[in-house]
Amino acid sequence: MKSYFNTGKGIQLQPIDIGHPRYFGLVSADTAFWSLIRKDRMAYALARPSFLETYRRKEKYFVEEMNTLRFGRKPFAVYFNPTDRCNLNCPYCYIPEKMRRHGRNMPSFKMLRALKILKSYFRQTLPKNIKPQIIFHGAEPMLNKETVLEVIRRFADDFQFGIQTNGTLLDAETIDFLVSKNISIGMSLDGHTEVVAGRLRKTWDGRGVFSEVVSAIRQLRGYTNYSVICTVTKENMPHLADIIEFLHEEKVPVCMLNPLRCTSPASRPHKPKDSRFAAHYLKALDRSFELYKKTGRRIVIANFANVLVGILAPSARRLMCDISPCGGGRCFFAVSARGDAFACSEFIGLSRFKGGNIFKDKIKTILESKAFKLVTGRKVENIHPCAQCAIRHFCGSPCPAEAHQMNGSMEKIGAFCEFYEEQVRYAMRLIADGKEEGFLWDGWDKGTSVSLEISTL
Amino acid sequence: MKNRKVKAKRTIIARRKKCKASGAGLSHYIFQDKK
Repeated sequence: MKSYFNTGKGIQLQPIDIGHPRYFGLVSADTAFWSLIRKDRMAYALARPSFLETYRRKEKYFVEEMNTLRFGRKPFAVYFNPTDRCNLNCPYCYIPEKMRRHGRNMPSFKMLRALKILKSYFRQTLPKNIKPQIIFHGAEPMLNKETVLEVIRRFADDFQFGIQTNGTLLDAETIDFLVSKNISIGMSLDGHTEVVAGRLRKTWDGRGVFSEVVSAIRQLRGYTNYSVICTVTKENMPHLADIIEFLHEEKVPVCMLNPLRCTSPASRPHKPKDSRFAAHYLKALDRSFELYKKTGRRIVIANFANVLVGILAPSARRLMCDISPCGGGRCFFAVSARGDAFACSEFIGLSRFKGGNIFKDKIKTILESKAFKLVTGRKVENIHPCAQCAIRHFCGSPCPAEAHQMNGSMEKIGAFCEFYEEQVRYAMRLIADGKEEGFLWDGWDKGTSVSLEISTL
Repeated sequence: MKNRKVKAKRTIIARRKKCKASGAGLSHYIFQDKK
């Protein structure tokens, strides 16, 4: 077996500068194979037949693995909006203001019918031992609380339920109920102080909601199935490390520091500059590691952990934004309060991307609709500069909605290319230094096995 | 400490794990499922 690389049918390997004093990265982009090579031994490593042959023996499997991950998944989760409405008016929301202000709740009888339809669909498509996920999302799902709780009670044996809420309507009784049912709860909080958190997340009359959300977080203390999402904007970007410190002190187990999506024009004035955001984000990651070393307790920054997992075990990733095609329309889809189906919640409000209505159309037909294909057909191979980028399968060029709405087409990049570059470089530096476990959730590799390991002195 | 010194000397580091894919989260939400 020949061990040539970068010629003919040989392995394609791209060196990348990961910003480490001793290591370069060497990546085969199509298979998401990566290695870290000591800078002073690059020629030695590449000349060792055992290195390239070890990879070559696995290459076919890696191709199949990436194909399955990228094109072979079946929907397993539904992001379900029980209402169009929200009691907050955050300017970066992807749901149009008119809908959030004047929209409707899905009536109880319709939501029960919707769940029956979804149950029936998943029974046909998923193995019996797998419970599909329903995540109540928004807008603010707790504005239709009684119906949501009723649905959870009735379908507890059929679905795993989750809820993403702004936290303002979570009273003690509701929290007790959600915890008793082991519901996965996500809450939104954009700052560590009333001032920072209230810069953009406000009620319709302009009042911040920091104290209500922190009160709900405190009531959830000790519950492991919850997380906090912090949407990063120009307004809170300089405070990310302090936000991590605050959430760690509040014993929040998992959070996300997600840049705002630029799908809606109203969000774009709040977009942080890519490079500045990346710098603050990396400082927040550093702070999370310092806190871990100091206290022995982690706060996992899940969107970064997912990038790291995507490198260490591509199929173990939990978030499906940073793989191409993204998970929209193929791993999950979204249902609005009217029953309209979209590949992802991000498209709710963009009628062109409506794939059908779950009360009128078969789900199979919706999944094969032109609107869904627009999303599921977006892949990095067709995007410039992603097609040449070594880390295209660690990033995935998210997000199709913002690429389409902000940059003009599905063949354009999303809003935060540099941010992803820096995340991958940081992740590889951690691996080079053996620090990666400090950034991952417990049991991240449960159910995995080793498919390749090279560690050469 | 000894392990750390050995790690620092490694010429090549490469590893990968495999599993059945089941992720369905997105940037608006991550499913937490700890029992």
